[in-house]
Amino acid sequence: MKTQDFEEKLNRMTKPEVTHLKHEDMLAGALIKAKDKSALSWWWLSLPIYIIAAFIMKSLFMPQTTLSISMHEFASKEKTLAILLFLIVPIVFSILNFFSIRKIYRTIENQKISALLHFVWFNFLMMLLSILILIIYLL
Amino acid sequence: MDEIELLDKIKVNPDHFSELFKLYYKPIFGYIFRRTGDFDSTADIAADTFLKAFRGISHFSYKGISVKVWLYRIATNEVNLYFRHRQKHNSLFEKIDFEKKDIFHNFLENDRKELEIEMQKHETFLTVLKELKLLPVKYQEVISLKYFEGKENKEIIEILNIKEGTLKSLLSRGIQKLREKCNQI
Repeated sequence: MKTQDFEEKLNRMTKPEVTHLKHEDMLAGALIKAKDKSALSWWWLSLPIYIIAAFIMKSLFMPQTTLSISMHEFASKEKTLAILLFLIVPIVFSILNFFSIRKIYRTIENQKISALLHFVWFNFLMMLLSILILIIYLL
Repeated sequence: MDEIELLDKIKVNPDHFSELFKLYYKPIFGYIFRRTGDFDSTADIAADTFLKAFRGISHFSYKGISVKVWLYRIATNEVNLYFRHRQKHNSLFEKIDFEKKDIFHNFLENDRKELEIEMQKHETFLTVLKELKLLPVKYQEVISLKYFEGKENKEIIEILNIKEGTLKSLLSRGIQKLREKCNQI
């Protein structure tokens, strides 16, 4: 068969059509609800950020206090909470966001870097903030 | 309502994404189905495509490509990823919460039966698809978009983000290889 005839055959052959999908509406609803999960993730990270911001403000207005001193005081008073907010949450978020970025990178590897940044900027920001929280806590 | 208006509505209230979903879910699902020939993988990949689109839509801006092209681009990359790894698709689909899981799975099962019957009606297509899937992904994507989806070269160039010369050469070599494989049957 000649190439032209083969192309003609490809154009003429019937193809399966998707005209009706019963699961469509339920999936649309579930996808839109998925945004609430991102909001919840952000909420977890916002707690340590809020505390650090409060300590920074305290150190600005009270010269005898520094961020490091405030952190140590908090860590000794609220040991479990400090470990959860400043160690476990940032580590978990760093790992989760790293894998998300890796997955998206693999998905759109053929595309321009701007396309990648469009998708990952939020994950990247979350990862950076998590690492920053970890550094502040461990220093 | 055109795409730009809809996009503006989505940026103000993300719930309007359902309108975009209704507009493009079936065509994108059909495109993935005609590339994979497998209902389960299609359902996973289509859900991943739209979940990624939903998460990225607020950053989408009209810079030369339409939302439709952008969705086809995401879907193409998802399908290519599926073909490259040849393994169970680690889908975001499994992470989505459904209030009425049983009903959803019944609907899904129903759609699977209907589409499997639909697929069996097109014998020539099935034979061509079987051979096409043996070619490298770069040929699969251009042939599928051109001959299964009936896309114009201009749109394929936008979806795949390639130059016209590259498309022509991929199509020519791909068709040649596919013809040789189909002639052997």
